[in-house]
Amino acid sequence: MLEFIGPALEHLFTLENFLWMNLGIFIGSVFAAIPGLTVILCVILFLPFTYKMTAIPGMMFLLGIYCAGGYGGSVSAILINTPGTPHAATTMMDGHPLSKRGRTKAALRIALYASAFGGVFSALMLLFLGPQVAQVAARLGTAEYFMVCLFGLTIIAGVSGKSMIKGIISACIGLLISCIGADPLTSYDRFTFGISRLYLGLDLAICLIGLFALVEILSKAEKKPGPLVLDTEKMNDKGEITKEEYKRMLRPTLISSLLGVMVGIIPGTGASEASWLAYDRARAMSRHKEEFGKGSVEGIAAAEAANNAVTGATLIPLLTMGIPGDGTVAIMLSALMINGLNPGLSLFTTQGDIMYAIMIGLVFVNLFMLLQGQFLTKLFAKVVSIPQEILTPIIVIFCFAGAYSVNKNYFDVGVALLFAIAAWFLRKLDMPPVPILLGMVLGNMTETNFRRALLLSNGNPAVFVSSIYCIIFLALTVFAIAALVRSKMKEAKTDKRGEE
Amino acid sequence: MKEKITWLDRLDAGRDTLGKRLAAKEIQLPTELIAGGFFFLLAIVIYIIMPNQVAVADSDVVNGRAFPTLLVGLMLVFSLVLLVQEWIKVKVKKQPLTTKKINLLVEIKALAILGILLITYFLCRITNLFVIGACFCCLGFLVYFRCRKVSYYVITLTMAVLIWAAFRFGLNVSF
Repeated sequence: MLEFIGPALEHLFTLENFLWMNLGIFIGSVFAAIPGLTVILCVILFLPFTYKMTAIPGMMFLLGIYCAGGYGGSVSAILINTPGTPHAATTMMDGHPLSKRGRTKAALRIALYASAFGGVFSALMLLFLGPQVAQVAARLGTAEYFMVCLFGLTIIAGVSGKSMIKGIISACIGLLISCIGADPLTSYDRFTFGISRLYLGLDLAICLIGLFALVEILSKAEKKPGPLVLDTEKMNDKGEITKEEYKRMLRPTLISSLLGVMVGIIPGTGASEASWLAYDRARAMSRHKEEFGKGSVEGIAAAEAANNAVTGATLIPLLTMGIPGDGTVAIMLSALMINGLNPGLSLFTTQGDIMYAIMIGLVFVNLFMLLQGQFLTKLFAKVVSIPQEILTPIIVIFCFAGAYSVNKNYFDVGVALLFAIAAWFLRKLDMPPVPILLGMVLGNMTETNFRRALLLSNGNPAVFVSSIYCIIFLALTVFAIAALVRSKMKEAKTDKRGEE
Repeated sequence: MKEKITWLDRLDAGRDTLGKRLAAKEIQLPTELIAGGFFFLLAIVIYIIMPNQVAVADSDVVNGRAFPTLLVGLMLVFSLVLLVQEWIKVKVKKQPLTTKKINLLVEIKALAILGILLITYFLCRITNLFVIGACFCCLGFLVYFRCRKVSYYVITLTMAVLIWAAFRFGLNVSF
């Protein structure tokens, strides 16, 4: 590890990297602060800009968006009681009440400090755990890899949306889409319908533009976008946080950061799960339980530390095994692979200098987020007030230009539009889109390992329970299914009682 | 100018009347039943077309159809589970079907937005000039949102040209 630190720092400390990093943080903060615009949408829209960059500035830009998205959502949650991102709903529980007590700036500062702490903690965990996990991952064979993919897909299908069955069907759709194009083992074409452009398969970025970005444009039909005004006058309080409050924040921030990392490592889970879990834990452990929901500093700190602690942790399975921790980092995989960086142990050995530069860079992303948040939050709030009438066509133009720029043809724009229509239809049927995305990302890896394992065992399916790792992941998958079914049944019972 | 405003007002009034009529119309969509049925049929269709669409060599132990067949099988099973769940709900538990309210006005609006997107796409494709499609897109959405502020038109059109320029000259994408 140490031999890579020097060259990594040399790669990292360039003006270009820090400029892209800060631009990403600014864009991410603004996007996340606008309710209805998500971090995943932002990363999709700006992904084409990284195609021309080398790996480090490209990843710094995307990581800037990703991490700042964790904090940005809290700005509108605290100011106008509307979470900019889904996970900021937890911050809103105490952030807005504290703001109503005339301490808006203090609430924003607590959120910022906790976010930055969670982010740095997570980045350090990635730095130390990543290489260790990669070494374990290197010992996995094809059958084990298939079982890891199966475990990841099960969790994703289970936690996305209300119905686990619909999640599994969505994951199957994603995996089937990944089958379009040349067979990864024989190169025979599959599901190309005689269209030569489909031989290389569907590009992930193009499909995602339709699935996540253009469908949001169609959803503008659901409600008339009202003007979003964030009153920056509210931020004129001193923003003072007392010593006593700092002391009270410390324990929940630390525990929540740890919880965020643990949740983030599990594929398919994300910032929302982490922040609710951390918030509940903080409330249970607090000596001032009565303050929760009324502007508790511990509540804000716990939620924000957890949702930003997810950021580095989601990269651990991504960089070591190619299994994304959540939807947003799944898109970042394209930015890595376009630069020839394939997940696995080799990433930490032969390309260690680049990899360590990215991981150390993540620490700086969080530090710069702290700086920008400290001085530019008022500006974020002002930019957020861009009217939807202006924002909507701009997003569409970005989507079309982005889809076109991947292969420089309009066929891809048509594909993105088709995916948007399909996503609209799926939304009507309450089918979650995230398992489709993860299915598309994991498709090739899952199929290749599934077939290779069977080929090596002459078609004997017992190969999937032939090693201790296989059995561990099989047990984890069964346990996850059982736990998910149990929690869904509990949810259904609670809903039923609520209706009665 | 005065005549233009009157024309716009009349257009808006017409849209409002139509909107009010459509807003009252709602459809109950049996989501689980449709999802189950649709994906069951889709799985069958994929299974039927697979021999035509996936070429394999006879010598392969595990060929290119193995994985898609497994997925189609899973889709069939889980679609059936969805259908059976709904059947049990209605026939055994005597509960109503799981439905979702679909508002006709929302769907018509979504179609209008889709129309703007499709025209933008075809304009770009036919003229091979992205900037023309981008300008239409801005105008289309501003009209859709009933925007009457000239400044908004100027800002969005400028932004459209700027985005085109960023991709054209910054990223070297010729369109």
